[in-house]
Amino acid sequence: MRWLKSISNRLRNLLRKDAVERETDQELRFHLERQIATNIASGLSPEEARRIALLDFGGVEQFKEDCREARGVNRIESLLVDLRYGFRALRKSPGFAIVSVLTLALGIGANTAIFSMVNALLLHPYNFRNLDSLVRVWEDRGIDEGYDARYIAPADAEDLRSTNSVFEGLTTYRFQSFGLGMEGDVQPILGCRVSANFFNVLGITPSAGRLFSPAEEQPGADQVAILSYGTWQRRFGGDPQLLGKTISLNGRVYTVVGIMPRDFDYPVPVELWVPLAFTPAERADRAQLSLNALARLSTGVSVSQARAELANFSHRAGLEYPKTNAGRSATLLQLRKELYIFTLPLFLLLQAAAGFVLLLACANLANLVFARMIGRQREIALRAALGASRGRLGQLFLSETLVYSTVAGMVAIAASFASVRALRTSIPVSWTKWVPGWDGIRVDGNVLAFTILAALGVGIFLGLATMLHTSRVEPNKTLKETGTVTRAKRRVRSALVVAQVMIALILLVCAGQTIQGFVRLANVYQGFEPASVLRVELSLPEKVYADNVKITNFYQQVLRGAASLPGVQHASLVTNPPASNVDNETTFFSIEGQPALKAGEAPSADLQIASLDFFDTLKISLVAGRAFSDADNTDAARVAVISRGMASRFWPKGKALGHRIKLGAQDSTEPWLTIVGVVGDVRQNWWNSVTRPVIYKPFAQAPQRSMTLLLRTTSTPTSYATGVRGVVRRADPAIALRAVNTLEEEIADSIAIVRIMGILMGIFGLVALSLSSIGVYGVLSESVAQRTHEIGIRLALGANPRDLMGLILGQALKLTGIGLAIAVPCAVAISRAMASLIFGVVSLDFAILVGFTVLLLLVALGAGYLPARRAIGVDPVVSLRYE
Amino acid sequence: MSKPTDLVQGTLDLLILKTIALGSMHGWAIALRIRQVSKDVLQVNQGALYPALHRLEQRGWIEAEWGESENNRRAKYYSLTKSGKKYLQSEQANWERLAAAIGLVLKTA
Repeated sequence: MRWLKSISNRLRNLLRKDAVERETDQELRFHLERQIATNIASGLSPEEARRIALLDFGGVEQFKEDCREARGVNRIESLLVDLRYGFRALRKSPGFAIVSVLTLALGIGANTAIFSMVNALLLHPYNFRNLDSLVRVWEDRGIDEGYDARYIAPADAEDLRSTNSVFEGLTTYRFQSFGLGMEGDVQPILGCRVSANFFNVLGITPSAGRLFSPAEEQPGADQVAILSYGTWQRRFGGDPQLLGKTISLNGRVYTVVGIMPRDFDYPVPVELWVPLAFTPAERADRAQLSLNALARLSTGVSVSQARAELANFSHRAGLEYPKTNAGRSATLLQLRKELYIFTLPLFLLLQAAAGFVLLLACANLANLVFARMIGRQREIALRAALGASRGRLGQLFLSETLVYSTVAGMVAIAASFASVRALRTSIPVSWTKWVPGWDGIRVDGNVLAFTILAALGVGIFLGLATMLHTSRVEPNKTLKETGTVTRAKRRVRSALVVAQVMIALILLVCAGQTIQGFVRLANVYQGFEPASVLRVELSLPEKVYADNVKITNFYQQVLRGAASLPGVQHASLVTNPPASNVDNETTFFSIEGQPALKAGEAPSADLQIASLDFFDTLKISLVAGRAFSDADNTDAARVAVISRGMASRFWPKGKALGHRIKLGAQDSTEPWLTIVGVVGDVRQNWWNSVTRPVIYKPFAQAPQRSMTLLLRTTSTPTSYATGVRGVVRRADPAIALRAVNTLEEEIADSIAIVRIMGILMGIFGLVALSLSSIGVYGVLSESVAQRTHEIGIRLALGANPRDLMGLILGQALKLTGIGLAIAVPCAVAISRAMASLIFGVVSLDFAILVGFTVLLLLVALGAGYLPARRAIGVDPVVSLRYE
Repeated sequence: MSKPTDLVQGTLDLLILKTIALGSMHGWAIALRIRQVSKDVLQVNQGALYPALHRLEQRGWIEAEWGESENNRRAKYYSLTKSGKKYLQSEQANWERLAAAIGLVLKTA
C-alpha cells in the first residue's frame, strides 16, 4: 500500500501546491526562529543571533527547491510545463509545425492504412471460434495440383471422420452452381453442398431458423436450403416470413430452413447452402477425389500430431485399398496458413514499404528538428548555464517531439478513416469478394492502438535522437560562439542524408520492380489474343442432363446458335479459359511404349476439354499437325492436341504427332489418345510461374456439364450478351448464364491485387523520392548557408566561382554516393527475396536499379546546385557580414 | 579536532530514522538531538535535513503531523511508520555489520 500512499502524496503535492509550499515555508521558518531564540538565549544580540542561524542553515531557497524535488513534484510539474511549451512552440512557428506534422502524419497514416489491411486479412480473416484449430484436409496424389484442387474421396473422408482421434469434427463440402427460379426467370447462383455438421465444425449458428440435421444427408430428404444474409436481402427483399417457404433450384423445390449471419460467407461468398446427400454408392467412392474437407483439431492436438495421424491413416488405406489409395497421402494445412500463402508476402512487402516511408519521414523531421536546434543552441546553452540538467533538457526535447508526433498521430487517425475506405473500395468487388476478411478492413481498436503506439514511438525516437544530438552542450563555448556548427553535429546530419538516400533507393527499386511486375503480368497471358472475346459460363444440372448425348446436343445447339449471331467469328467451348483464377485439372498420363511408372513418378499434365473452334477463337497458334475437326466424334478414334511445352518435353526430337497417350496408368481403362496436333503454350493463371504441359481433348469425345462458352466477335463483346442469352434460352430455358463478361475484363480482374499493390508501391516510391529530395536539399542548403561566410572570404580572396561550385557539389555527391553504395547491395538482396516471395512475378532488373541510382544522384546534384548558386551569387561584402 | 566529519552519503536517513524512533519530533529537535547524542562530532547541515525528511516521507518511512511545539507554536512533527521501523532495523543491522568489518580491517591490517 506504500505506493498508493506515495501516489496520493504526490497528487496532493501537485494539486494543493500552494498549501504544501506554505507548509514548507512555515516549517523552515519555525526552525530558524527556534535557532534564533536559542542563539539569543546563549547571549547573542538579536541581529547576531539571526545572522548565525541563517549561516548555519544554508541557502534557504536552494533547500526549498530540494524539498520540492524530494516530494517528486518537479518531474510531473515540469513535464506539464514542457508540454505547454511544446504546444506554444508549435503555435509560434506554424510553418515548421505544419511541415513536420504533415510529414509525420503521412508516414504514420501510410502504416495505419496498411496495418488495417494486415489486421483484417491476416489477423482476423474469419470470425470463427478458435480459428487456429481449423484445418483444411485433403489427399495428395503426389503431383502438385494447385491450391484449388485439394480434394478428398468421400469414403476416405467418412473413414477419417469416424476413426480418427485428432479431430473434434470433420466436415465436407462441394461447390455447385444452381439455377434459381424466380418468377419465370432463372438466375444463376453459386451454392455449396455441405455435410450436416458443416456449420457446427465452424462454430456458426444461423441468425434465423435452424441448421441441417443428419437425416437431411439422405437423397430425397435433402431438399432444404440455408440462405446467406446477402441473398435473403437482395433476392427476397429481406422477407421476414421466408423461413418455411419454398424456392426452386435447378427445377426442384427446396424449403428455406435457415438464414446465416450477415458476415458469414465461408468457404467463399456463396448464395446458399444445401445438404450434401449421397447414395450408398457415392458414399463408398474411393476413386474420385471430389470433396473439400475441413476439420477442427481436438483441444490440445497440434498440427504436426494431426499430420502424423493422417499419414498413418493414408498408409493403412493404401494397404487396404491398393487399387485406389496407393500413393495417396492425406495432409492438412491450417485455414489461416492457407490464406497466408497468397496474402502474407504481399502484405509483408507493403507493410515494410510503409515502415520505410515512416523512417524517411522521421529522418526528415529529425533533420528539421536538428536544424532548429542549431538555431536554439544559445537558448539551450543558457538553460544549461542556469542549471538545467541533461535529463531536464532531454525531457524538454522529448515533450516537444511528443507534442508533434501526437498531433501527427491524431491527423493520421482522422485521415485513416478516409484512406482505409478508399483502400477498401478501390479494388473491384469481383476480386475482393474472394478475399476473406476484406470487408473487415476498417479502423478498429487494434488499428487505433497501432497508430497511437506508432505516434508515441516516433515521438520518443525523435526526442531521444535530439537529446543525443545536443547532449554535449558546453554553455561556456556555445554562448561565446557565433552560431557555427561543430564537426560532430555536421556528421550526424550527413549520416541522416546517407540514410535517407539509402532508404529512398531501396524503396524506389522495390516499387519499380512491383510496378514492372504488374506490367509484365498484364502481358503474361501470351499465346492468345484476349481482345474482342466474350466469355459465358454455363452449367447443366445433373438430374436433367444425365447422359452425354443430352449434354452434347445442348452444347451443339448453343454453339450453332452463337456462331450464327451476326458479328460472331468463332464460337467454342473450353473447360477452363485462361485468367480464370482457377488452376487446370491435373492428370497423370502414360506414353505408349514407355515403361509403366509408379503413381508418384508418372508424368502429369493439365487437362483441358475444348470444342472445334477453340484454338481459332483465342487465336492460339497451331505448331504442327491439325486442330480438332468434325470427324473427331464419339464414333471415331480418340484424339488429343497437346501444347508445345508438352511436345518438346516428352518428345524432344519433335516427333510427338502420331504417338499415343493414355490418361492415368498404362493398365487403366482409359482409351488411348492419338496426338494429332501441337499448339502454342498458353499461360493459364498469373501465379503459374512455369507453363505446364497441357492435353486438349475434343469436346465431342469427352462432354462435360460445366463449360465456358467463348465468342470471338468483330465489335464490342458485351453487346452480344443479349444474343447469347436468347440462344441459350432457345436450347433450354431452365439454364442460367453465369459470369458474362469479356476476357479482357477477366484478365484485368485476375491481376487486380497485383495492380493495387503496384499502385500502392508506386505511391510509396513517389513519397519516398520527394521526402528524400526534401531531406537532402534541406541538409545541403543548410550547410551551404552556414558556409556563406567562408564562401564570401574565398570569393573575396579571388577563388574561382566554378571551383567553389565544384566543392559544394562534390560534398553533395559524396554523401549521396555513400548512401547509394550501401543501398545498392541491399536493394539487390531485397529484390532477390521479393522475387522468391511473390510468385516469380518480380525479378531483379538492373535497368531499374541503375535508373533510380542515377535519378537520386541527379536529385542530389540539384539539391546542391541551387543553394550553391545562391551563395556564390551573393556579393562578398554582404556575405562577409553574414552570420 | 578538525572539522566535524561530513556525513557519509545516505547515513543522514539512518540517523533521522533512529532519532525519531523514540517518538515524534520536529526538524529542529532532530538536528539538535543528532548533534547532542554524537557529542558534537556529527553536525547535520541544518538546511539539508528538510529535503531528507521530505524524501523519507515521500517513501512512506515516516509520516508528518502538525502539532503544538513546547513554546506553543505550530510545528511539523515526524514519526516512524511501520515500514519505516522495518527499514530502520535492516539498515541498522547493515550498518553495524559494515562498521564492524571496517573496524576489523583497520585493526588487523
